[in-house]
Amino acid sequence: MQDAITNALAIKVACDKVNVHYGDTHAIKDVSIDIQDKTVTAFIGPSGCGKSTFLRCINRMNDTIDICKVTGRIELEGDDIYDAGIDPVQLRARVGMVFQKPNPFPKSIYDNVAYGPRIHGIAAGKAELDEIVESALRKAALWNEVKDRLQSPGTGLSGGQQQRLCIARAIATAPEVLLMDEPCSALDPIATAQVEDLIHELRENYSVVIVTHSMQQAARVSQKTAFFHLGFMPEYDDTEKIFSNPSDKRTQDYITGRFG
Amino acid sequence: MVGYTFLLILLLSAVGFVLNRNAAQELRAGGSRLHSLPVFHGGYALALAGLPALIFVLLWLMFEGSFVSALVRASLPAEAVAGLGAGELSLIMAEVQQTASGLIFGEPAQYVRDAAAYYNTLHSISDWAMFALVLFILAGGIFLARRSVATEFRARQRVEKVLSGLMIFASVIAIFTTIGIVASLVFEAARFFALVPITDFLFGTAWEPQIAIRPDQIAGAGAFGWLPVILGTLVITFIALLVAVPVGLLSAIYLNEFASPLLRKIAKPILEVLAGVPTVVYGFFAILVVAPALRSFGGDTLGLPISPNTALAAGSVMGVMLIPFISSFADDALTAVPRSMRDGSLALGATQSETVLKVLFPAAIPGIVGGVLLAVSRAIGETMIVVMAAGLIATLTINPLDSVTTVTVQIVTLLIGDTSFDNPKTLAAFALGLMLFIVTLALNVVALRVVRKYRELYD
Ligand SMILES: Nc1ncnc2c1ncn2[C@@H]1O[C@H](COP(=O)(O)OP(=O)(O)O)[C@@H](O)[C@H]1O
Ligand SMILES: [Mg+2]
Repeated sequence: MQDAITNALAIKVACDKVNVHYGDTHAIKDVSIDIQDKTVTAFIGPSGCGKSTFLRCINRMNDTIDICKVTGRIELEGDDIYDAGIDPVQLRARVGMVFQKPNPFPKSIYDNVAYGPRIHGIAAGKAELDEIVESALRKAALWNEVKDRLQSPGTGLSGGQQQRLCIARAIATAPEVLLMDEPCSALDPIATAQVEDLIHELRENYSVVIVTHSMQQAARVSQKTAFFHLGFMPEYDDTEKIFSNPSDKRTQDYITGRFG
Repeated sequence: MVGYTFLLILLLSAVGFVLNRNAAQELRAGGSRLHSLPVFHGGYALALAGLPALIFVLLWLMFEGSFVSALVRASLPAEAVAGLGAGELSLIMAEVQQTASGLIFGEPAQYVRDAAAYYNTLHSISDWAMFALVLFILAGGIFLARRSVATEFRARQRVEKVLSGLMIFASVIAIFTTIGIVASLVFEAARFFALVPITDFLFGTAWEPQIAIRPDQIAGAGAFGWLPVILGTLVITFIALLVAVPVGLLSAIYLNEFASPLLRKIAKPILEVLAGVPTVVYGFFAILVVAPALRSFGGDTLGLPISPNTALAAGSVMGVMLIPFISSFADDALTAVPRSMRDGSLALGATQSETVLKVLFPAAIPGIVGGVLLAVSRAIGETMIVVMAAGLIATLTINPLDSVTTVTVQIVTLLIGDTSFDNPKTLAAFALGLMLFIVTLALNVVALRVVRKYRELYD
């Protein structure tokens, strides 16, 4: 039943034969994957296998690393994002990112969330900006905790709150795709559960890609799972299938804890 | 002799170190588990022998001089010193000492020659006695330390105690010299304020620090109002900051965020060379290049009234001097902003310049503000450039094209040449110095406050 639904969804990001080199290191090897809209896609695999690297290809954050070279084709709704005519700055407004370590700016909670909308001129006035900030904070399940202290520094929040603030900051620019690189690795179990609930809800509006080192987390939050191994992506399928009946031997070994 | 004594201390302490360490190593080789590592046993010997010897020598040298002088003075023939005052006596003693060290002017009296010979004898006796006693102390220390080597002996704790004692001593020296400097300033300034009312100094608007040579001289009374002087300092400082802050900050931002690695590699050392230029050279630059250029451009071309020594020339050159100071502070502060901030902003679709302006710069503000305030302190205390390029006459003005003088310039001119330390003209320098100290201290306190406030906000 779920297969029928997910298969009906449009393809948001299409990647074809993507290769990434850091100088002489060949970090991503011929990875092709179609990421669906309104779906949570999990990237799992042993550390150092290239999950973060591949994730950063999708919003061209790899451009900020001098030695990093990306080849292959990645399309966002049919447009080649590495095309010379595409401005990475505009691309990143459409493809948001949440990092492993919460990184709120040294500004007030309000200014953190309003940062993206202000830069992109999304809000017409103060009232609209207030609205955007409130709705982003509500979606990130943080509104009730911070509504009375929007002007206090974002860095003064707890780790879990900071990460939800970063998620609110990312969704305030109304991206179409949200990339999350191990968003819960610095969080305690309660904060992790909150963020996972949040991801669940985000799925209704966005295409979410989450890197995680926890297989339980992948199983809990995602509908699709891609398994990475030594720069290759041996298997990509419905999460259920990957965890119950993987077709690749390496996936099976990883799932059953043979390595990683 | 004193040199040999120090050499002896060095050598024998090292011997004690090696003896003790080897003894401890032997104990360990014999199979016992030592409480402390052999080096600590060695260090214990070093401390036990070297420290008392060193302290002894220093004390000896401190008291030797006055003791020997007292003996020599007592030996002077009664008829030669009869009826002489303390001043004349010390003159004779100075002559004796000069004769003793071989500096003979004219024909010293016979009793002076005798006293000089006696002086030299006493000194060599004292030196030998010191040498022998130090040898004894060192030997005793080594002996005691060597006897203490045992598996259970807590050499490490003792050595650590000695080390922490040394550190306390060092910080005490630092603190006491500061207190001493401040105390001497306060003391001399107090003498000044006994001659000139403090209200005249603080609120007076005229600075004419001359004193009458004859009682009936016209306009012989000086005026000691510091306001025009401090105002001159502030005007020059302000001009310097106007040059240094924007240029320093923007160059730091450019080099840190936008420049290619190659350009950065070339430009940074050049900026640092600027920091190494002696201030005298900046002074040349100000009087030989900047001031004439200002005169010919502003005066001849624009027809502005420009005095030969302008606050603008001195201030702008001082600003150039401060550029590397500010840019290196800003550079450090920007580099210290974690990469995750940068990535976070870029990932939201911000451009490089938006990221710098809205995230990196605010995050770097504590460091930058600290740097700017320290630069202000330096500008206020800077002496050489203003001595060369600013004026000497104190005028109460904020016109940058006028000649102004600064606190440091006045201190220098007040103390240059033949001065006696009992008239207000000379003592005024100390009052100015005290005020300068208070102003810079207040600035530094404010700088620390500001930095801490921002830290609280951003950490
Ligand atoms: N900035 C970088 N410079 C050079 N090599 C890198 C960089 N980032 C990652 N790599 C290399 O690329 C490979 C994949 O790393 P990464 O994508 O971080 O793995 P993962 O996120 O799966 O743990 C690793 O071998 C790593 O050493
Ligand atoms: Mg990673």
